[in-house]
Amino acid sequence: MLLETAILAGLLFGFGIYQVLQRSFVRILIGFVLLSNGANLVILAMSGDPKGKDSPILAEGTGPHVDPLPQALILTAIVIGFGLLSYMVVLLYRIFLDYRTTNAADLFEEPLKEAKPEEPH
Amino acid sequence: MNLVAMPILLPLLTAIAALLLRADTLRRGIVIASCAFQVIVALALVILTARQGPIALSIGDWAPPFGIVLVADLLSSIMVALAGIISLASIVYGYLELPCRLEHPLRIPLTQFLMVGLCQSFLTGDLFNLFVAFEVMLICSYALLTLEADDWDIKQAFPYLAINAVGSMIFLAAVAFAYGIFGTLNFAEISQRAAGMSDDPRVLILAVLLLGVFGIKAGLFPLYFWLPNSYPILSTPLAALFGGMLTKVGVYVLLRVFGTVLPQDLSGLHTVLAWLGGVTMLLGVIGAVSRNFVRGILSFHILSQIGYMVLAIGFFSPYAIAAAIFYNIHNNLVKSSLFLVGGTISLLNGTDDLKRSANLWRATPLLGVAFLLLGLSLAGLPPLSGFWGKLMIVQDGLRQGEYVLIFVALFTSIFTLLSMMKIWNASFWTQDASVPVRIHDRRWIGLTAVTCTMALLTVAVTIFAGPLIELSHQASEEIFKRETYIRAVLQLKADRGGVVDQAVSVPFEAVSDPIDGTSNPWLPEVAR
Amino acid sequence: MNLARSFIFTRVAIFLFFVINLFSIYLLLRGHNHPGGGFIGGLGSGMSLVLLSLAVGVEQMQKVLRVDPVRLATLGLLVATLSSALPMLWGDPFLTQYNIKIGGVGLGTPLIFDIGVYLVVIGITVRLIVILARPVEGLCSLTPIERTRYASEIEKPIDQPIEQKIETNWGGQG
Repeated sequence: MLLETAILAGLLFGFGIYQVLQRSFVRILIGFVLLSNGANLVILAMSGDPKGKDSPILAEGTGPHVDPLPQALILTAIVIGFGLLSYMVVLLYRIFLDYRTTNAADLFEEPLKEAKPEEPH
Repeated sequence: MNLVAMPILLPLLTAIAALLLRADTLRRGIVIASCAFQVIVALALVILTARQGPIALSIGDWAPPFGIVLVADLLSSIMVALAGIISLASIVYGYLELPCRLEHPLRIPLTQFLMVGLCQSFLTGDLFNLFVAFEVMLICSYALLTLEADDWDIKQAFPYLAINAVGSMIFLAAVAFAYGIFGTLNFAEISQRAAGMSDDPRVLILAVLLLGVFGIKAGLFPLYFWLPNSYPILSTPLAALFGGMLTKVGVYVLLRVFGTVLPQDLSGLHTVLAWLGGVTMLLGVIGAVSRNFVRGILSFHILSQIGYMVLAIGFFSPYAIAAAIFYNIHNNLVKSSLFLVGGTISLLNGTDDLKRSANLWRATPLLGVAFLLLGLSLAGLPPLSGFWGKLMIVQDGLRQGEYVLIFVALFTSIFTLLSMMKIWNASFWTQDASVPVRIHDRRWIGLTAVTCTMALLTVAVTIFAGPLIELSHQASEEIFKRETYIRAVLQLKADRGGVVDQAVSVPFEAVSDPIDGTSNPWLPEVAR
Repeated sequence: MNLARSFIFTRVAIFLFFVINLFSIYLLLRGHNHPGGGFIGGLGSGMSLVLLSLAVGVEQMQKVLRVDPVRLATLGLLVATLSSALPMLWGDPFLTQYNIKIGGVGLGTPLIFDIGVYLVVIGITVRLIVILARPVEGLCSLTPIERTRYASEIEKPIDQPIEQKIETNWGGQG
């Protein structure tokens, strides 16, 4: 069980990093989704083998429970990942509106300019 | 007890009020009053922790292994106080710089949410809560970075976001590993359980992961390039807040995690840390010399100063840690004041490009004196505050025989002086009739007043260097000894009838998994 | 801009809007001891609003919601913060909870906290979707009231209505 989880988490991290390093904005976004899911999976693996255990819901006549803490952590991590990702979508959309490109390499292609003179407010 | 939660709660309430109110003078008054109150609370916390040791609070009355604890030891309260002072200065500066009408309405709420994240990451005693605090802080910093950025600047936010997001994911995985290895996320309990495990490869891997993550946040050598490009796009008061506090959180967490949480005999990793610090400071200062606008120079200097602190952490002796803490106090104030000076320069000359600014010494000698004090203090000229921090670091380095690193540190100091003199010569000393000085723009008076107050504060750090170094020694003692920190947390556990391992550095056998002793296959054999 | 919408989809979505909201309140109330709670309930309610915006258009949905979503989220944050800070008045730790039982029904202060979370999640979800959906329908991403609240005066809108054909360089090839 845990070996499969470990392999899957490794694959998610690997594909995630690969996609993040691509040029297209959409691929970068997908890469971050994969990375965040990989990290969540690593947390889930820490609650151990769930074989023969009940879900951590309090009720009469339930046996040993699965460790509930990783699940609480994942819930929080998912929320944070959701916030991060939605910010990233909006930022990339804004960059798209400004630069009219979805290619991350285009953004930084030009030689670094001198600092712009600051406009007086 | 509840005083520990106040630095988190106050900015949260202020942010909510600022979101609900209209952006006018009333809101400004409320925010300033709240910020001043935050500083007072933080100073009270410093006095309290200096007198009676760490204060712990179990949130929601849940005993430590199950609930989150907030712990204020001396180091955390010092950091909270510095954050309060810098946020107050930055907000006052922002108010004097822009009238109500032109200020972005979301700037104040986001700054206050940022303070929530900052104070929470200083005060938390739980690894996952630290992750949450980091994310609160980082998401606010992304938003502030892009809030007032224009079309050219906006793309600089993307590398910042991307590198920090990857860092966050690695942090999350590291938290998971910590839970798998130790069966707990509480700093005090991890510290107890990790005590005998320094040669365990899993602990080493965890430490390397955490070093990578906090290295990204602090702007350490291999992954620092996002910082000097993204900070100059901030407006002046925000740059002061970011430059003063945000990267220092990385330094604080390195201190906390390597000092209090992980085993103290990871000497190989400490050497790596010292060398990373050395390389960072060298590259940072070379970058600073290469830039020719004020905010760019200062942004690169953040890196080189971070290098000093990380070097001191890498030396990892009580004396060096005290030096790092004192250097942190000095550097937070000086760095944010320098950003404020930079903002005033760009207001007066209409640009912060060094080629097109001049004549300022004649126009405002006071600002010149403030800049000189701050710049020389940053370079570490005696008797200013930077000198004492650097002296302590150099002393400890010589004691440990790290001659190469010490040479790099001194070399960096000279180059720091060089780049500070570059600003001084270009902006203040040069006389060029073709460069106008906008002395008729009366805002510069208020801005110079704020800047000079901050400069006076750094002079106070110089004058009271003795007591502050004493304080740093006490804080580093607390980090190194760990007993007081652990006892404060375990006391909460004992109060609620939990089983407390009396010996502070118990071997790992005494530990049982709270849910099911055998459930966790990642626990080592000895634990089962 | 008039997007053609399926009549069946619109009717079904309007019907589902009420059902989903009912279920989300059910989730909110059972959350203390069972799966559910403020977060998941709020997500459900937020999703129902998103569905409604697909069915009748974003502007119409905002008329149904009536309040500014950020205000809703702020209000929720205020409720949650106050309910967690209140025990500090009599010296209990931050976030302490009190539970009582009235006639077999467990009630407690966590419910107030959860209602706060519920409002925050609805507000934020709707805000996120609206800000991306409005430009698609050819509207500015902020309404005039929101512009006074959340945008600086010197800022000019960067998003044009969709009618102006956007010349793009997809993928940066040509």
